[in-house]
Amino acid sequence: MCMGVAAAVLLMGLLAGCSGSKTAPSGGTNAAASGETIKVGVLFSVSGSLAVTEKGMANAALLAIEEINASGGINGKMIQPIQEDLASEPSVAATKAKKLLQQDKVVAIVGGYTSASRQAMLPIVEQYNGVLVYPTFYEGEEYSKNIIYTGATPNQQLQEFVPWLIENVGPKVYFIGSDYVYPVETNKQVKEMLKLHGGEVVGEEYVPLGHSEFASVVNKIKAADPDFIFSTLVGDSVAAFYKQYKSYGLSPEDMPIASPVTAESEIVSMGADVAAGHYVSAAYFQTADTPENKKFVEAYQAKYGADEPITQVIEATYFSTHLLAEALKKVDDVHDADQVIKAFAGLEYNAPQGKVKIDEENNHAWLHSRIGKIGPDGQVEIVRETTEPIYPEPWSKLLFPDHEEPWKK
Amino acid sequence: MVMQQIADGLGVAGVLAIAALGLGIVFGVMKIINMAHGELIMIGAYTTYMVCTVGHLSYYAGMVASFLVAAAVGLLMERFILRRLYGRPLETLLATFGLSIFLQQFIRLVFGPDGKSVSSPFQGTWMIGDVAIPLFRLFIVIVAIVMILVTAWVMFRTRFGMQLRAVTQNRSMSECLGLNTSRIDALTFAFGAGLAGLAGAVLAPIKTVSPSMGLDYLIDSFMVVVLGGIGSLAGTALGSGLLGESNQLMTAFISETGAKMIVFLLVILVIRFRPEGLFRMERR
Repeated sequence: MCMGVAAAVLLMGLLAGCSGSKTAPSGGTNAAASGETIKVGVLFSVSGSLAVTEKGMANAALLAIEEINASGGINGKMIQPIQEDLASEPSVAATKAKKLLQQDKVVAIVGGYTSASRQAMLPIVEQYNGVLVYPTFYEGEEYSKNIIYTGATPNQQLQEFVPWLIENVGPKVYFIGSDYVYPVETNKQVKEMLKLHGGEVVGEEYVPLGHSEFASVVNKIKAADPDFIFSTLVGDSVAAFYKQYKSYGLSPEDMPIASPVTAESEIVSMGADVAAGHYVSAAYFQTADTPENKKFVEAYQAKYGADEPITQVIEATYFSTHLLAEALKKVDDVHDADQVIKAFAGLEYNAPQGKVKIDEENNHAWLHSRIGKIGPDGQVEIVRETTEPIYPEPWSKLLFPDHEEPWKK
Repeated sequence: MVMQQIADGLGVAGVLAIAALGLGIVFGVMKIINMAHGELIMIGAYTTYMVCTVGHLSYYAGMVASFLVAAAVGLLMERFILRRLYGRPLETLLATFGLSIFLQQFIRLVFGPDGKSVSSPFQGTWMIGDVAIPLFRLFIVIVAIVMILVTAWVMFRTRFGMQLRAVTQNRSMSECLGLNTSRIDALTFAFGAGLAGLAGAVLAPIKTVSPSMGLDYLIDSFMVVVLGGIGSLAGTALGSGLLGESNQLMTAFISETGAKMIVFLLVILVIRFRPEGLFRMERR
């Protein structure tokens, strides 16, 4: 009987290890025919609890690759996407990154959503001297010569949003967030900004990831009586919190929830009636009014469905893949990671969010910032947006005014 | 503020009771550790989504449908997989764990990984002085009480219930006396699964309906059952009440993470001194 159990466990382990390795058939890539192709890794979770966010990112990368190939590829050579599933597990991210770099010999990987997955991939891409393009907004405090960060750093996420909130909604803030590095670090920044702009912290609460019971939190919020609630909840917690906030009689007229995380997909999940009236901020919203965005939304929805919400990380993955192609076009040897990374420096692109640029020095991207109020139909009404992109500070000047800049070495 | 917490605790306890009831019956009667219990709750929630949000039928129709669909899934599970594994707890654990992963991914493939929206049929809050009681939470507590009473009626006032209790106390003797234990097992599992589905229907309007929503409830349900005593209905009711209230009262003073931790420690303490839980079940 023990043997049976051991065999079953072994089998399950093998099955889990061999999960979803597939070369994605992306529209116009007829890779084998032309012989010489350039392989690019696409590494996101399409299974597990993070698939809700990351599946769209993989879709965006594949869409971009299709468009790049349709307009001639990289100097005539087609891109062959090699898609892997990181299955919401950071350890799998490391394994798959290694496989992509070592076995498949991809010239670059576009991938990662959680900081945990990026931190798992960092030593791998540095060890094998590869290129990782990481399109997700994060808590900063990182730099690697092998990673291009195209997601917003805290200063880009907050420097427009927080002062606007204090000015237009009120100074008293209650923090609610999921209990891990991103919310905790982000809130540190926000607290510094509150000091500068005359805001006041009336409460701070962190709940475990995936936690969905908010009765007592709502209670504490009521007792503290803030002007607005700053939420860095992620995942399943988001819809549950907004729903329960409403069920206890709280209203966005008096005490709105402001979040840099809540996006179109969470709005769909909680329902427009629950979401209406609250504030969100991101580099990009689906309702952004640029010609590039109109084309992008049309193409994305034509390929993946008219009801698919398009969030900032999806847009970021899209323009990052295009930026990668531009960088690859500029180099002599696409397999030379140092050349590729150098080619990114100063590169500009007309993304759906507006013009973006990779900084000449710190491997991060100049990005826009938008503030939106969720309308009664669940669409984000943009109340304020930048016309010029904002400089990225991996180590925020507010919290770390004298921090050394590793890219200067 | 404390009164509010106590009222909230009742709401939380109601949710726990409904979620744990199905597990308690299955665990108590059949000694099956059903790791897919959370997914049965999730299936109930998705059924409610299909019936109410997509089908535009009434919420009560959704509740009934959730019970039936989850019961059907439970029956299939029992007939095709679990029946062959009776008396082998390790294999059952593994099999149900595998089923849990399978069901999550299946739902993810069919419905997509994003959260689905189910609106609450009872909007509004009942104010008693300073204490706010959301009407839907009140509904949950009422449903929990009704379900416990119905289950108690089935167990103690029906012939089927008597057979069920006989099998629980002494399986081989019941077989000797001519009971079709195989059929009783199937029906019991289906009933427990149905209760889980109903829990899902009740949770859908206040939580996020997503493929991974069941995981949270698995642990909580097991805690309630182990604390209350395996196979005891009163134990499940009391266990959920205790856990719900203590969690809520504690979170008034400390963080959610801290409160959860302390509640776990308290459960461990109780089990240490009373391994069978609060209510012991007779066995011969």
